[in-house]
Amino acid sequence: MALQEKYNELIHLAQREGVQDLQVREQDNVLYIDGRTESGMLKDKLWDLYNQIDPDFRAGDLVLNIDASGAAGTLAKVTTKSSNLNIRKGPGTDQEIVGKAAHDEIVTVVSRPNDQWSLVRTESGVEGYAYSLYLTQQ
Amino acid sequence: MKKTFIKIMAVSVLILGGSQATSCKKKTEPTVETPVATTEPEIIDTVAAAPVEIASDDQLVSDVKDAVKDFPGVTAAVNNGEITLTGDISRERLPKLMQGLHALHPKKINNNLTITK
Repeated sequence: MALQEKYNELIHLAQREGVQDLQVREQDNVLYIDGRTESGMLKDKLWDLYNQIDPDFRAGDLVLNIDASGAAGTLAKVTTKSSNLNIRKGPGTDQEIVGKAAHDEIVTVVSRPNDQWSLVRTESGVEGYAYSLYLTQQ
Repeated sequence: MKKTFIKIMAVSVLILGGSQATSCKKKTEPTVETPVATTEPEIIDTVAAAPVEIASDDQLVSDVKDAVKDFPGVTAAVNNGEITLTGDISRERLPKLMQGLHALHPKKINNNLTITK
């Protein structure tokens, strides 16, 4: 319960802003907060708050897993820092690059084969797998 | 004998009346309400908590490789579900790295990175 108190503000922000499928669990002295949102801004807000409560994420007592990358059938924006996003033949960085999506480009999320990778279609019609961390649902 | 019987009857009527009066009195006494269970702790999490799923080390090793690929200077080791980070990173890029790693279902993340600026 002590960890839920430490991250109380974060849990309440997630509840108040309507994070979907929100789960807050404590196990072996680590707090696990899972959920998803259609708002990349909310995800950033939650991470900013986490960084305030535990500066530079040093304590190792929270696993915060908020997915804002976009469900199948939605549009997502490429939110890399500035570079292009690789589109690959399969879900893995060892897979061949079949195309690129530009920074800020809007792509269609075709499916979500797993938590980390999304099958996307770019504006130019290239279809392949992109790393979901760099996609934010529109 | 008859006199005694009447006397007994009279006394019993008195007693009965008295006891009735007492019971009436009792009924009009204000009843003490037992408090409704308002002191119980508020239930915050109504979802039955399933145990947290931790990815296997094999899965983590493969996923961590993808997650740190864009962060040169960062080394990640996986052991028993724990990801331990060493090396250097800028404070600006740290949240993005962490967001990627936290999504991999690790048991915990030990951040031993040196912040360069």
